[in-house]
Amino acid sequence: MARVGVFVCFCGANIADYVDVPQVVEEVKRIKEVKYAVEYKYMCSDPGQGMIRDAIVQYKLTSIVVAACSPRMHEKTFRKALSDAGMNPYLLEVANIREHSSWVHQKDKKAATEKAMDLCRMAVAKSIANEQLHEISVPVTKRALVIGGGIAGIQAALDIADARIPVVLVEKSSSIGGKMAQLDETFPTLDCAQCILTPKMVDVASHPYIELIPYAEVLELQGFVGNYKVKIKKKASYVNFKTCTGCGACWQKCPVKVPNEYNMGIDKRKAIYTPFPQAVPNKPVIDAEHCTMLQKGKCGICAKVCLPGAIDYQMQDEIIEREIGAVVVATGYDMWDPTPYEEYGVGRFKDIITSLEFERMVSANGPTNGVPQRPSDGKVPKNVVFIKCVGSRDEAKGIEYCSKICCMYTTKHTILLHHKVHDSHAYVFYMDIRAAGKGYEEFVKKAQVDTGTTYLRGRVSKIYKKGDKLMVRGEDAQIGQVVEVEADLVVLATAVSAPKDNPELARLLGISYDKYGYLSEAHPKLRPVETAKAGIFLAGCTQAPKDIPETVSQASACAAKVCGLFAGDTMKKDPMVSTINNEYCSGCQNCVLVCPYGAIVTEEVPMGHGSKELRTVAKINEGVCQGCGSCVAICRSQAINLAGFTDPQIINEIVSI
Amino acid sequence: MKKLTYFPGCSAHGTSEEFDSTLKLVLKTLDVELEDIPDWNCCGATSAHVMTENLAYALPLRNLVLAEKLENTTMGIACASCYQRMKVTKVKMDGNPELAKRINTTVVEEGTYEGKVDVKSMLQYAYEDIGLEIIKSKVTKPLTGLKVACYYGCLLTRPKEITKFDSPEYPVSMDQICEALGATATEFDYKTECCGASFSISNTEVVENLSGQILAMAKESGAHAIVVACPLCQSNLDMRQPDIEKLQGVKYDIPIFYFTQLMALAFGYPIEQLKFPKHIVPVEGALANIGKVEPVPEKVKKPIKAVEAESEVK
Repeated sequence: MARVGVFVCFCGANIADYVDVPQVVEEVKRIKEVKYAVEYKYMCSDPGQGMIRDAIVQYKLTSIVVAACSPRMHEKTFRKALSDAGMNPYLLEVANIREHSSWVHQKDKKAATEKAMDLCRMAVAKSIANEQLHEISVPVTKRALVIGGGIAGIQAALDIADARIPVVLVEKSSSIGGKMAQLDETFPTLDCAQCILTPKMVDVASHPYIELIPYAEVLELQGFVGNYKVKIKKKASYVNFKTCTGCGACWQKCPVKVPNEYNMGIDKRKAIYTPFPQAVPNKPVIDAEHCTMLQKGKCGICAKVCLPGAIDYQMQDEIIEREIGAVVVATGYDMWDPTPYEEYGVGRFKDIITSLEFERMVSANGPTNGVPQRPSDGKVPKNVVFIKCVGSRDEAKGIEYCSKICCMYTTKHTILLHHKVHDSHAYVFYMDIRAAGKGYEEFVKKAQVDTGTTYLRGRVSKIYKKGDKLMVRGEDAQIGQVVEVEADLVVLATAVSAPKDNPELARLLGISYDKYGYLSEAHPKLRPVETAKAGIFLAGCTQAPKDIPETVSQASACAAKVCGLFAGDTMKKDPMVSTINNEYCSGCQNCVLVCPYGAIVTEEVPMGHGSKELRTVAKINEGVCQGCGSCVAICRSQAINLAGFTDPQIINEIVSI
Repeated sequence: MKKLTYFPGCSAHGTSEEFDSTLKLVLKTLDVELEDIPDWNCCGATSAHVMTENLAYALPLRNLVLAEKLENTTMGIACASCYQRMKVTKVKMDGNPELAKRINTTVVEEGTYEGKVDVKSMLQYAYEDIGLEIIKSKVTKPLTGLKVACYYGCLLTRPKEITKFDSPEYPVSMDQICEALGATATEFDYKTECCGASFSISNTEVVENLSGQILAMAKESGAHAIVVACPLCQSNLDMRQPDIEKLQGVKYDIPIFYFTQLMALAFGYPIEQLKFPKHIVPVEGALANIGKVEPVPEKVKKPIKAVEAESEVK
């Protein structure tokens, strides 16, 4: 005869205010198998757990029911309490009377109490049929995949590799470096982005534990934490990286000119190109869309001038497969397209540029040798208007959130403008100045004094052309008047937006994303770098807009998580997995079709009765099985059993209400 | 022969009579017959719609209900204010059947609103239903040499959720129609700024200030004339122009045409039929530019000097 103990939690006021807890206790005491029932303010606290431990010994209990919050919250806590008292931890059942009752029925205490009683009755009934279960050990593949080679991916890869764990780093473009490689100087210390980034890029290329796969995309991810298989498409580069020396003869002679993405289209690159001189790997790729040889079969100059003979026009995309144990997603961000701001004349006026275009212009390695120029006539601008929050914090035309970095980079831009054009004057239209960060407020204050920038608090309503100047009309809310500023150049601090490929990537990885396309963390405060899927982590702007220091911290946090995951040779896993009873299995394989995890395969077993003939039956890979129960539901011959959720357990639950 | 339900509005029979009469000439050439809404009433603009919700919707709704008695699917409206009131009412009624039912009780004698008739401004009708190709094909006297600034005012394309036509900030439909007639549309950044609207009567200074800026920007853009599709815009820019000139000490001499007047001119109607004597600012100076060919200005643009990416030769 089962001896069940029931422990009902007040959860402070969370449950007790809306559910009559003492009444629930009285009700469960009427069930004959319940030998002990008690209520307590905080069951998860140490005294609360102590009550469970003591009762197990004192009343010789055979299963435990805790009526409290969601099992996602504290199931592990209470299982440990059972273990500590010498009881099998899987003899625990949690009745969720908080999320499923008190929180959702706050206006009807009577109904909430009745529902809580029902939930408890069900849990007691189920627990009577609970069996002892034991954790499963699964081997771990100690190799990590990092998707994205910007500063987030670079940092995560280096930190993991430094712990002597092999890393596969996949980058979409032909060089790592990401957005940071496009920056001139970085706030708040104004150190040169190239100087601090390029050594790290070289470290990645030369690290014995990092396999760098540039110009590639992730196609497919299968398996589960510790045992993933990834398919990577290596795009045809038409250049054999093994024989190419990176001498540059090909791109010097290539006759095709294409807008240069690295310089935001301000100048031209060739059809065979490296994105920038400091690229890693410093090997060119052919842009097939623009190459006349690949499009029309004419030209072939790069092949003629290539002494090592590295050009291969026949090259095809290649599929690479790797076994890995964990994934770090670091796909960065996109700049928001300001086209919806028609009142600013975006697209009509050449002298309105985005902040990243301005960044390229003031960069020492930029297309204008570090001196800003008006795109319309090439003149050096004297009056420059910076408009913040273009797209950010704008529910009507843009996105609701604050992009976090624009206040700081615009301040930096006023300094860079002042450095490059001494007799210039900067105007900044702003909503707020958000300078929360170490040394940030001081940086903004100092810049305001040093550069003499005019800060105008208000939105810009219109930009129009007068002669060769742009007239910027906006509100100065501090004096409550409309102001007009005559500008040579207008720079829009465009919002940070999620990479447009993120939803597709999220689908293939099996993780979730928010309404903007940012990938979702498991918990906004306490699990900020983990996703809801075990073994997949997030670093950098792919999770939300953030600056370089924060991105690097998050990347290192991911590395710590990966190293922790790989600390042992095996991983423990809950035993709630399916098993097949071969005697009942007819080999119909419907379960193979419905299993969302690919956890079911088939095997050949003897017919039985001494026969030598074989028949096919299903077989579960318990390492892969997630215990969803789909196979149990589809099985016509009831040959499948899901540990922890057996037919008797579920029938008991149903009968109890 | 196409048929179009027509709501002239009060100004078509008064201040903007030239809009109404040239519209009829143009539509004749384009093979469109206008059918007036029988017993139409005031749209309620500028007074009713700020007073009570019921009156604001009931006045236009009566016209919408009456329009459904004709068999045409579209109603064309000359005046921008009338268009605005009628379109807002239609969108609100179609989106909220409860409200439609309630407002309908006020005009129940006319019938029940069904939402069968679409509402378009005459500009939208010309642009969407007739189209640039057909307009172009009817041109016999192209307006080559005439530079025009197309002025849309505040109501024709706004709010964009209601009008669902062209851009609320930088519309181009009238520009393209004028180009189809052979004229040149200038790059005019003030095309949707406010002209001062009905302050013309109660606070003329406001109109002189706002319309003055529009005239200055049109002149800056190099236009010989301004083209409009709204009677109030026309009267403010035309009638107040002498006062504005006095105030600013600048001579503008910019006539304000309805786009239908220019269409009729390009379609070959004799100048006597276009009612130019109704204008305050004489039109002859601007029209004298038709046929003049300007020398193409030399391009002086210097593109950005691109620095070749440094290559590391090993």
